[in-house]
Amino acid sequence: MMRIQTPGLAAPPPPQQNPQDPASTMADAPPKQVATAMERLSRAARLIADIRIGADRLLELLFLSPESPQQSNKTIQFVLKEEATMRQHFQDLRSLGKHLEDSGVLNGSVKLRGNSWGLHMPLVCPDGAVVAYAWKRQLAGQAGASAVDRTRLALKAFTDQKRRFFPHLEDEMFIQHSEGELGVAKKLCISHSLLPGNNDELREGRMLHDVINTLQGEAPNIRIYTYRRLDWFKRASSLSLLLSHHLVDSSNEHNFQSTTNSRPVLGNAGSFAEDHIAVIELISPSVFRAVVSLHPAGSISPDAVAFFSSDEGGSYVHARGFSVFHVFHHVTEHADKAMQYFQSIGLDTSLLLLLRWICSYQTLFTKVCSKCGRLLAMDESLALILPPVHRAYHQISASKSYQNLLISSDSSHGCDFSLAYHIGCSADDS
Amino acid sequence: MTVKWLMHWQPKPGTTLSTQILAEACQCVETLGGQKDGRWRSVLTFYRPMQRDANVPVEHPRDFLGLSLQEQPAKYYFILRSNRMVVEAEASIQVVMEKLQSYKARVILNFEGFQYKLGDFQVRVGKCVPSTSEALRGIMMEIEYIPLSSIEKSRQVLEEFFDIWQETISKKSLPGHFMHIDSNFGDYGLQDLYTSQHTAVQYATCMAQLIAAVRA
Repeated sequence: MMRIQTPGLAAPPPPQQNPQDPASTMADAPPKQVATAMERLSRAARLIADIRIGADRLLELLFLSPESPQQSNKTIQFVLKEEATMRQHFQDLRSLGKHLEDSGVLNGSVKLRGNSWGLHMPLVCPDGAVVAYAWKRQLAGQAGASAVDRTRLALKAFTDQKRRFFPHLEDEMFIQHSEGELGVAKKLCISHSLLPGNNDELREGRMLHDVINTLQGEAPNIRIYTYRRLDWFKRASSLSLLLSHHLVDSSNEHNFQSTTNSRPVLGNAGSFAEDHIAVIELISPSVFRAVVSLHPAGSISPDAVAFFSSDEGGSYVHARGFSVFHVFHHVTEHADKAMQYFQSIGLDTSLLLLLRWICSYQTLFTKVCSKCGRLLAMDESLALILPPVHRAYHQISASKSYQNLLISSDSSHGCDFSLAYHIGCSADDS
Repeated sequence: MTVKWLMHWQPKPGTTLSTQILAEACQCVETLGGQKDGRWRSVLTFYRPMQRDANVPVEHPRDFLGLSLQEQPAKYYFILRSNRMVVEAEASIQVVMEKLQSYKARVILNFEGFQYKLGDFQVRVGKCVPSTSEALRGIMMEIEYIPLSSIEKSRQVLEEFFDIWQETISKKSLPGHFMHIDSNFGDYGLQDLYTSQHTAVQYATCMAQLIAAVRA
């Protein structure tokens, strides 16, 4: 903990030409304005990085359990200091942003002002890349490439944070951190073993194939496949090829069954290595394809879920991806909340509950909203016409009585008792 | 392919078509949140057999339809309504037809208009104009729900969207309404998975209605 200190990077803004008066900057020649703007942008990027590091540190501190009162005192001191630093960063960022806005970097307003010598102010693209000279076409390509890198880094950073601060999703492998935080990460490793996530006692409870067999019995219209993680990515990429040629009805799985990629888990899983299963795919023919990721592999703890159209294929089709269609995008967002709810009520039932709940989406395009009685509704805040994408998840239980209820209900709908709501009609938003 | 419904404008008996209706329809799409996405164009051709010898009775069908769709630039579709047949061919078949001179293009109708994106829906609104004159023959709409390709599964969604559309356009008090006719795809040997051949069948079904509406 002693190693954590305010980095030298968080310096106050270096003295530049008078930043208070935007009018004076406009009196400079355009090349100078562009240079100033570029410099400010790089400062802004540094400040943002500092803020992220600060947020990281604060989160770590919150999760540390101090061993002694002296240490807890130090923690408090440190939190206060970090907070002050963060505040200063935010203030600096705000003033910097104001200057950038005035000088026209964040919008195209400078183009409207004449006499800019043919130079354009650097443009900040929505993905965060900065294009200095709009007429340089190669920079557009660079912006695209940097967007990919940026996204990858951001995803890695967020996934790492999620794993560290949400223990039931924790990885078995030791996660590498930047130098300043090694000391802290070691502490987390100790607390990790106390969690039920990876214990053997959990495996004595329900096994993966039990869960899937139970589900298959309850929802005969849904096809369930399991994959190892790498096999899933191969499948996702091959889907895009097949679908683009309209060669196969996406719910026709004959071609895939013959390969060793997937194994429909219907009977007792004797032959294949169940402890490598990391992805479960649920297909409701012509309606949706849901991808659930398990972590660790072979366990029954889900850590991500996503919905896609049966026509979608490509490398973005995975449990952390988002569909290109609005309807499935919103279902995925809602599914995230449902998954967290199921995880919070019990680790060994969460997978079954989640899969059951996913099956209730078979009726996504046929079941009307329980509140307004219509199938489609215009969502005013999103300006989209959507079917009821929310399904209530609070009343689903794993008890035996539930299964009896299911048998007595209309078998053609399977898990159809879950109430459907439009986003705007949602009764409970928790 | 994503499921599409074709609708045509049924004017009130005694009223005439006007481009005003088209403009109002476009406005309605925009009030629903539609973003203009470009133009669209389809070309429908009525073919009639060329008789070499006027005395010999013609055994093959009297006329059939050829359709060229914007979303399938490399294909051409033939529809024989009386025999319930639809065929997908390469676009070069038109050249072959011209060379063979067995069938002649009698009437060519151009469908052109604008395309809009409304979330997961795509809406096309356009007019039907014969290639030879500028007279407005009809107004057509295509609505498409992109996430689904099964006709059965998307039926309810498209029905409700059509209802929402009818509600919106009825506020404009235009003389007439849009109509959708259910085509019997099974008759043509088509499956539940939607394809451009289904679109061709819908166009053929619409044609009969459209012509009748204009003549009335």
